[in-house]
Amino acid sequence: MDQQHISGYFDYNATTPISDEVAQSMIPVLTQFANPSSSNSYSILCKSAIVEAREQIARLINTKKEKVFFTSGGSEANNWAIKGVLLQHIKKPGHIITTAIEHASVLDTIRYCVESFGFEVTYLKPDEQGVIRLKDFQDALRADTQLISIMYANNETGVIQPIEIISRLAKEKNIPLHVDAVQVIGKRKVDVESLNINYLSISAHKFYGPKGVGCLYIKDVNSIGPLIHGGGQEQSMRSGTENLVALVGMSKAAQEASLNVAQWDKDNWQCKQHMINLLKLAPIEIKFNGHIGFAAALSNTLNISIKGVRGEALAARMEMLHNYIFSIGSACSNNKTKKSSHVLQAMSMQEEDIQNSIRISFGRFTSIQAVEKFIETLIIEAQKLLIISGSRHG
Amino acid sequence: MKKDIGTLMYNDIIIKNFTEPHNVGDLESADYEIEIGNPVCGDRIKVQLLVTDKVINKAVFRAWGCATSVATANIFCSSIAGEAYDNISQRQPLEIGQMLGELEPSQQHCVEILVELHQKLADTISSGVV
Repeated sequence: MDQQHISGYFDYNATTPISDEVAQSMIPVLTQFANPSSSNSYSILCKSAIVEAREQIARLINTKKEKVFFTSGGSEANNWAIKGVLLQHIKKPGHIITTAIEHASVLDTIRYCVESFGFEVTYLKPDEQGVIRLKDFQDALRADTQLISIMYANNETGVIQPIEIISRLAKEKNIPLHVDAVQVIGKRKVDVESLNINYLSISAHKFYGPKGVGCLYIKDVNSIGPLIHGGGQEQSMRSGTENLVALVGMSKAAQEASLNVAQWDKDNWQCKQHMINLLKLAPIEIKFNGHIGFAAALSNTLNISIKGVRGEALAARMEMLHNYIFSIGSACSNNKTKKSSHVLQAMSMQEEDIQNSIRISFGRFTSIQAVEKFIETLIIEAQKLLIISGSRHG
Repeated sequence: MKKDIGTLMYNDIIIKNFTEPHNVGDLESADYEIEIGNPVCGDRIKVQLLVTDKVINKAVFRAWGCATSVATANIFCSSIAGEAYDNISQRQPLEIGQMLGELEPSQQHCVEILVELHQKLADTISSGVV
């Protein structure tokens, strides 16, 4: 990995840089043209690579390989879990519980099921720190609740939801629980068996693997309908010739994550603590959006609002002048509509704070030195924007 | 100035005027003041002017907004400084639109900002309100 090239990259929650080992693992497979489903000698290597990939993912989340089903990524896994469960109930559509802070692939899929088939939905709103209130969750449970879909960690704030308790309450009511774990896999250890989750979504490119590949953990294969009918791959649950190259890359990424996730988390936490300390000392007014503590939020994510500084303008100056990349909570769209973070809105944040918000996310290739340079530059550019706006005179 | 694939969404005019906005400032005794705001995206621009015999001697601005709207404010101030108001008032909408260069769809609202700044200038000069 070209460390110099990515030292300015602070948008790991959007996607992570592919690791050298992952890239190298995929190269030999490029020429393996055999169809893994064929019964000839050419396909043996392909088949064994797929078995290996399934085992590596199973090891990463502590389950059996038979419960790992490959998909094209997190969005497909989310779509499958939701449609696969709900479409079994379309003759008698009931109730869904989700949150207002889910990824679009969850929210849009649920809206599709609601609008097309008549399901009812309860959107749980988080508190001001970004956490779903357990009382709200318990109050939302109904006799006809047919699915709960709640993310493990939020992509914008890094805030972790109380999945363990939610899972226990769901099990007591015998309601299937789908967890979008895309942002937490590779950042924290996830033990899907002890959590007793029914469905769990994973995306490889969020933990240093390739894009276009992921998986859905399915606790009980009989509890959900197939996603793609056809050739019978993935236990006839998701037909289609496997994307061998991507699966090998994901396999390597999963292996690396299994071995290193605790160390990565520790390193990220050091960077985050340092970042928080530097920001607290900065001569600009900063608000931390959502929980920032180790147990309550991912160690690689920080969402802040800088008073008087439009996030969009700050991101533009940081990229144009310094090649730094990070995300913003609000962007101009046009004069009639705006693109504001639905997550920060659901946390009841003031509109100006949302417009002033930025998301900083980093990972295994981020050094303390890179954090220091980044924050130093961020503060300088924020001060320049304060001068431009007249909030601070130069 | 660095420019790579990441900044391709902004044209050179916007990049230059946003990263080096040389018209930022306040006037202690402005002859005229123009202020606009967009209730949707929240952009706020304030322009102060020194004017003698309908010639704009100096134009400075303060702005809170996206990169393109800050650049727009700077472009507006540069384009009117040293100009006779009669010349500015003859600008056609097409000419005003071209002052910002080629814009992405999400930046198009800044053409409306620039048009509004011209309109406010016209209203202010004609009403003589300080």
